[in-house]
Amino acid sequence: MASIDYPLERPAVSLEKGFAQHLYEWVATVDHKKLGLMYVVSALLFFVIAGLMAFVIRLQLMFPNGHVVGPDTFNRLFTMHGTTMVFLVGMPLVAGFANYLVPLMIGARDMAFPRLNAFGFWIFLFGGFLLYYSYIGGSGLYGAGSAPDVGWFANAPLTEKAFSRGHSTDYWALGILVSGVGSIASAINVIATAFSLRCPGMTLSRMPLFVWVMVVDSWLILVALPPLTAAQIMLMLDRYLGANFFNTQQGGSAVLWQHFFWIFGHPEVYILIFPAFAILSEVIPVFSRKPLFGRAAMVGAVVAIGFISLGVWAHHMFAVGMSSWSNTFFAGSSMLVGIPTGLKIFNWTATMYGGKLRLQTPLLYCCAFLFQFLVAGLTGIMLAVAPFDWQLHDSYFLIAHFHYTLMGGLVMGIFAGIYYWFPKAIGKMYNEKLGKWQFWLMIIGFNLTFLPQHIAGMLGMPRRIYTYAPGRGWELWNLLSSLGAMVQFVAVACLVWNLVHSALRGEPAGDDPWDGWTLEWATTSPPPEYNFEKLPVVRSSRPLWDMKHPHDPDWKYE
Amino acid sequence: MSVEEHHGEPGERTQETHVQLPAPTFWPMIFAFGVTLLLAGLVTFWAVSLIGFIIVLRAVWGWWHTVIPHEEHEYVAIEPEHRPAPILVEYRSVVRLTVGEEGHRAHLPVEVHPYTAGAVGGLVGGAAMAILACLYGLVREHSIWYPINLLAGVILPGMGNATAEQLRQFNAGVFGAALIGHICISILVGIVYAAIMPMFPKYAALWAGILVPLFWTGLTYPLIGILNPAMGEHISWPWFVVCQLAFGLCGGYVIARSTNIRTFQSKAFVERAGLEFPGSHPEKEPQ
Repeated sequence: MASIDYPLERPAVSLEKGFAQHLYEWVATVDHKKLGLMYVVSALLFFVIAGLMAFVIRLQLMFPNGHVVGPDTFNRLFTMHGTTMVFLVGMPLVAGFANYLVPLMIGARDMAFPRLNAFGFWIFLFGGFLLYYSYIGGSGLYGAGSAPDVGWFANAPLTEKAFSRGHSTDYWALGILVSGVGSIASAINVIATAFSLRCPGMTLSRMPLFVWVMVVDSWLILVALPPLTAAQIMLMLDRYLGANFFNTQQGGSAVLWQHFFWIFGHPEVYILIFPAFAILSEVIPVFSRKPLFGRAAMVGAVVAIGFISLGVWAHHMFAVGMSSWSNTFFAGSSMLVGIPTGLKIFNWTATMYGGKLRLQTPLLYCCAFLFQFLVAGLTGIMLAVAPFDWQLHDSYFLIAHFHYTLMGGLVMGIFAGIYYWFPKAIGKMYNEKLGKWQFWLMIIGFNLTFLPQHIAGMLGMPRRIYTYAPGRGWELWNLLSSLGAMVQFVAVACLVWNLVHSALRGEPAGDDPWDGWTLEWATTSPPPEYNFEKLPVVRSSRPLWDMKHPHDPDWKYE
Repeated sequence: MSVEEHHGEPGERTQETHVQLPAPTFWPMIFAFGVTLLLAGLVTFWAVSLIGFIIVLRAVWGWWHTVIPHEEHEYVAIEPEHRPAPILVEYRSVVRLTVGEEGHRAHLPVEVHPYTAGAVGGLVGGAAMAILACLYGLVREHSIWYPINLLAGVILPGMGNATAEQLRQFNAGVFGAALIGHICISILVGIVYAAIMPMFPKYAALWAGILVPLFWTGLTYPLIGILNPAMGEHISWPWFVVCQLAFGLCGGYVIARSTNIRTFQSKAFVERAGLEFPGSHPEKEPQ
């Protein structure tokens, strides 16, 4: 090792640069870390916007015969909420975490295609702007604005010209199409980086599980997103050039749209949940002080989920009247996906079992994930039974199910990841006390919001209704849901305050505050532009463990 | 630069002063903006698309020149003041589990009863149950066919409409159905007993002989009207419990007397699954 000592105190980031130079540095950057942060910050901004929309939705439904917003506005709110959460929050979070962490974890200096990486981010962001521009220009540049109001999966023939006047649906199709290009670019980059830029010694069997999951996730994006893009182009052809792919009045097929959408839409659920899987696979071992239980089986499980998830899409379509053979096949395949998913839950739990648990905010969120995602999985199995689905299709039971999946699963996992890597990315520690406050508020608020929705759904409350008459037994459950949304609002405010305040005034974090085992903890917090002075050589799946325990390294046992 | 200078231990310093990285460029952003405008023109005004197209062309030209004929790079200085802290060596030793170590494995049975013992135990328990049930029929209803006809209701839903007098009569077909059903269920339950008895942490005989029959009765109580309407209408629950206990005690006794056989559970799951895990291979030097 060279003899240059490290500094005890690092100079603060220079503030002498002017605003223009700072702006240029961020706009022109091809650095994967900056782009990763830009993805995550953009996603969090969209998360706050879509969260506020959900808040208004809950206010509207808090009491029977609510009049907080009008019915048209309500339709736009739930459409934009869903579309934003899926395409402008979930997808950029995938890209953001992968961008920031994959090169650091595999000992690379950058992504394989840095300029494509920059392009991916900007086209995602401009796609998001285009979608939101619909509020101003939804009826054309000279008309009054109207955001899309056809639901986040925009079922045909509602999207045809006859039923959707103006341009709001076009904004939906184009905005997502444009931002989808960014997702494809990012996916190509992650796969190329993981397979071609691993440092010496990092065989696939030693690659961190985070990277493995992100590779499978990127592969799913590459396979699943093109059908949606194709369908959106077909929809535009219908609307602009008189094609009749989905126009039922001219011999088109509305069911065709559903097949196109859901062959993307269900893998999309796994595309969104995989980052949470990836984060848990890193956070739980470090905070349990144990290696991940069944590492090889975990890799196998995520690959299996990737494959199986491509064959389950029509369980979203049990109510359209498919043949009983189709129903049986998709019910069976949907249940099959529960096996590798269950294996992962067991292995995370087994990792924690007997471990020396450090119950800090990242691990708390992982525990919440395990409980809530389990509930989501169980209600998912219930909905995979076609006759059960017929009873509760498009009810609030379904709303509760997928919010337990994406909010109780993805968002909790993302929060765990944000708290875990915040010290690395910013170089400052977050406020642990405020983190725990946010955790408990979030857990209480989340469950108070969505647990009652199971019951409201079973009592027959359909999704997307603007309001409801009293006397149907839904009042209490909606009131509880709305109160829960208020608690979540406070929790998210705590998160935002914690992140902003800690970034500005937090305690220095040090390079390895969690006593981690993967390569990102071997470099400075925040990492320099080049990541590592020397690209590292690794000998096991826990290279930092080997460095810290030279008398008892992992490579002796792998 | 030599390979040694390029690579080292994680966190290791270098003698080099600069690192070559891709140069920043704003052309990807401009290109993305142009593509967005190009498509936005479809829903706004054709001139927007035209402007987007011009921006796309310019951005393609600019981007092209950042990589053709030579990729643009910048040299980033390695700043000593931003070096990571040295990785501290931890001398505390870590206890590693060895494969199949006593006290550090799941409480799964290392020995089980053979399935044949379960089948035989089930038949014996079923016989004991049948004798008591017939005794009940003889004492209460003056007919041993009464409980047999009731039991057949599991297979023959039509028995639900039978009168008490019809239930007291012998019917060869119904008898055959009851006999086959009873034998099959007895064997299956016996096999389940053989499989689960070794898993009970303590007092297996108490569990198998008394508690499981009581649990089973509790489970049957709310479901009997669906599973067997005839039995649900005419059943005597005290006798039902006694019959279940007879099955549990007799079947459990037979199973408990069988010779146990060892399972793969004596080995760790990862070993049985052929997975790679710490401790599964002898120490070896890194390649």
